[in-house]
Amino acid sequence: MSVREVFPKLGVELVDLHESVCCGDPIKSMNDFAANYLGARVLALANQTGLHDLFIPCNRCHFTISEADSTIRQNQKTARKIMGLLKEEGLEYNPHIKMWHTIDLLHDHIGLEKIRKTIKRPLESLKMASHVGCQIIRYSDLGRVDDAENPRKLDELIRATGAETVEYAEKLDCCGSALMFSHPDSALSLTGSKLKAVQNMKADGLIVSCPDCGLMFDGRQKDAATIVGAKFNVPVLYYTQLAGVALGIDEKRLGLHLNQSPIENLLAKISV
Amino acid sequence: MSIVDLMSMATPNFGSREKILAKLLRRDVVNCFQCIKCTSGCTALKLLELKPHEIMKLVNLGFVDELASSEIIWTCATCLKCVQRCPQKASPYHVIMALRNLAVEREAKVPEGYLKAVSQILETGLAEACRKIVTRKMETVDRECLGLPEVNKPKESFQAVFMKAMEEKP
Repeated sequence: MSVREVFPKLGVELVDLHESVCCGDPIKSMNDFAANYLGARVLALANQTGLHDLFIPCNRCHFTISEADSTIRQNQKTARKIMGLLKEEGLEYNPHIKMWHTIDLLHDHIGLEKIRKTIKRPLESLKMASHVGCQIIRYSDLGRVDDAENPRKLDELIRATGAETVEYAEKLDCCGSALMFSHPDSALSLTGSKLKAVQNMKADGLIVSCPDCGLMFDGRQKDAATIVGAKFNVPVLYYTQLAGVALGIDEKRLGLHLNQSPIENLLAKISV
Repeated sequence: MSIVDLMSMATPNFGSREKILAKLLRRDVVNCFQCIKCTSGCTALKLLELKPHEIMKLVNLGFVDELASSEIIWTCATCLKCVQRCPQKASPYHVIMALRNLAVEREAKVPEGYLKAVSQILETGLAEACRKIVTRKMETVDRECLGLPEVNKPKESFQAVFMKAMEEKP
């Protein structure tokens, strides 16, 4: 919801695909070919719109579709098979479609300067921790949006809203989400140890750039607390929710009432 | 089972090893020189004792059947640190994924979550179906009342083509 509100204010018009389909991520473990086919199918659906830029707000989807795209480019045999399957549905892969993620679209395309200028309500009282996630920065050979070992763009975007950012040792740690399929307790203990680190930093909240990581830190915060034996009070927001607040957009339109973590704590700090 | 146990109790199967190499396209498993950079940064090491360098060694030694039926290959958190840091571009993550694919082909035990995802995609096109959610203030909301556009299901032809893709064995 916050994506749909924030991007038009920064001059980016969004058009929905005709169909909503899976990027193929959970299928990677089952059948790599089928996963690549699903990824290619999303690109083919994007091609149907006649536009050349595909915006993917999720780390995992962005990675899966990028790998599908790179397989098609590098492996002719697989590429031919995938094209054949797409053709059966009258779909066509277009190599000129560029994929964007929230981080590079905002940081590299729109630019920090424009965001700073558009901000109506600088969030100067806030100190935020960032969680960039794994699959949007690794592995570099695939072409990712930021440096793999020292990602800075999300922090720069947070600072563009006027908020401060904190550095912490666990910044690159994984949210654990991929283990939810097979080892949910271990997954939640990863989530819990990162939340513990953020809470110990006395940060006002955690900013994520991936809805899946968001689900772990926000929606499953209470479960993670039970697993690691702690009490958590960490507001978790997707980056565009934070940016939306700074742009003066109504809280409900940003879906802030949908977060399960205590967002009130953070909002109270801004209104003072 | 450790490498030492396998060396005395199992016999390598080079046919299966070839299968894994074929699935990996051009990634260079054989170049692994056991520097253990992958294991030292592995997200799943502390919690689930996944040691990617051992998996690499076992594949190279031909103990692929044992790996494909082992639960250890399902402990990877897919954080991709091993792919990023491997100086030999041997990419343990991709090896683990190829082993999972082989396990599925052989109908070994696959965590239920993955099977559910496949049937969900078949049914709705999405790995997780749209559902109503309960807010912090205990209100139940859905896409419609949030003013979000409807989620369009894929065309009917999708199911058959997706099944065809699932049957493909690289």
